[in-house]
Amino acid sequence: MIKNIWLITLYTFREAMARKVFLFFAFISILALLGLTLVFSVIGIDTFVDIANQSGSKGVLREVVASIQFMIINPLTGLCLLLAIFSSASFVPNMMEKGTIDLLLSKPISRDQLLLGKFCGGILVVFVNILFLVIGTWIIVSIKFSYWNFSFLYVSITITFAFAVLYSIIVLSGVVTKGSILGMMAAYFIFILLSPLLFAYFKEFRTAVENDVLKAFLDGLYYVVPKTSELTGVITANLAAGRSVTEYQPIITSLIFIILMIGFSIFLFRKKDF
Amino acid sequence: MFAIETNSLSKIYSTSFGKKKVNALSDVSIKIPPGTIFGLLGPNGAGKTTFVKLLLGITYPTFGSGLLLNEPILNYTVKKRIGYLPENHKYPSYLKGRDVLRFFGRLSGMSGKSLEIKIDELLETVKLSEWGKSKVKTYSKGMMQRLGLAQSLINDPDLVFLDEPTDGVDPIGRKEIRDILIELKSKSKTIMLNSHLLSEVEMITDRVGILNKGKLLREGSVKELTEKKEEYKIRLSETEISSVESVFKNNSVTKNRDGSLSVKVDNVESLNLLIDNLRKNGILIQEIELQKSTLEEMFISLINEADSESL
Repeated sequence: MIKNIWLITLYTFREAMARKVFLFFAFISILALLGLTLVFSVIGIDTFVDIANQSGSKGVLREVVASIQFMIINPLTGLCLLLAIFSSASFVPNMMEKGTIDLLLSKPISRDQLLLGKFCGGILVVFVNILFLVIGTWIIVSIKFSYWNFSFLYVSITITFAFAVLYSIIVLSGVVTKGSILGMMAAYFIFILLSPLLFAYFKEFRTAVENDVLKAFLDGLYYVVPKTSELTGVITANLAAGRSVTEYQPIITSLIFIILMIGFSIFLFRKKDF
Repeated sequence: MFAIETNSLSKIYSTSFGKKKVNALSDVSIKIPPGTIFGLLGPNGAGKTTFVKLLLGITYPTFGSGLLLNEPILNYTVKKRIGYLPENHKYPSYLKGRDVLRFFGRLSGMSGKSLEIKIDELLETVKLSEWGKSKVKTYSKGMMQRLGLAQSLINDPDLVFLDEPTDGVDPIGRKEIRDILIELKSKSKTIMLNSHLLSEVEMITDRVGILNKGKLLREGSVKELTEKKEEYKIRLSETEISSVESVFKNNSVTKNRDGSLSVKVDNVESLNLLIDNLRKNGILIQEIELQKSTLEEMFISLINEADSESL
């Protein structure tokens, strides 16, 4: 079973690599890393590092390094997620095209394995792209500051997890509609608009809402909608700086969301006639 | 044990939100022994592809059941021993010919050196050895069919389903594909062939099934289906009907282009009586054979008959 899932995962990875979007992102990542190297080569930070070291606390240096790393990585991973949603939206619909799905289902592989392989393949692609960017940034900043903030590497996991949440919506939509548009729109809507708005509501404006029904509705929505905003924001920043995660609720509810989405996708995919 | 065995296999599709039902396949029961080349014939929309998809678990039956190589059709593990070439098959354009075979070989449970050897062997068989390292997007239609055939044979299957395998292939290529199928048969493989090229089907199949509007109209060997019962082709030394008219006065006779006569008789006894009469009248018989129609003639007349009955 694992062998089959891994095989589909690998070929989905290959399918993604054949697309120009991921190459484009890799190109942007290389440009960003080259730009970073250039900027760091002309900016002197020796005095600052000396002061931080004299303070006797590595914590100051770690905070500064983590903040710089996060400032660099955050917009780039955001761009990566936008491109990844665009590029991965067609993985499932392409697989379900006549002439392709017939062949796949005629092989000794179950439908569950096929869909899980597609899901894992999409995640692997994004993980590799993010990892390349994160490791590059980490090496350049660490060399410059002579401080190796290993916690920063967690960023690759949280960002990939945020993508997995969005990708689970894309997979379900792909199974239901056999198309990519709806899933892509839903993922963009949640990532760009809904999740940040609900996060802002929950943290800043909840007390201002006086209507109980509206409050219950927005609370419910907050818990149901995956929390990509927290995953790519607060949680990622904390982990990057070596701080522990203060609240696990966004991770747990997002994980449940993925399980439900993929579980429902598999349920529907099992029943589909092609 | 049969290679394929179905029991009242049926498929009803619902359209327009379940308001309209389409009987894609109705009560198809069939038994195909191992080592047979079985031709599945029928006009467009007859249910041929639906039948194959049901057997392969690509579509689920509404009623009925089936066994492939003695395993229930919904048991996906049996597909390790099955090959399939669908009509209008698609391969990822970024893959090379070898990669396509490697992918489907691995999906079928093969790996390592044995898979690479099999890929070389099949590329050679389908005459694509020089194209193995080219991307499939550069392949012509005929080459895609050859690659598809190689793909369907990658796991050395015991049972192969081929949907229009010679579609887009030139006459020489078609002959080569026929030779491959005959060779497979010699290795006791079972082949189910869906094709519109009836002359080709007639050349290589042992048995055929004819589907129309989801129903299996006839099933049997090509010989059985093409024989015109009680109609004989007789070649006489004297071929002018007028000269032998008196002998044939109780039979319907038509003269063929080659000078022979087609004679309808009621039964074998009548035939023998006719022969006796001819001999008695001093007419020499050069040849007698049971009249056969081509598969195409039989197919067309059967479909027309079925269509006129359903009106």
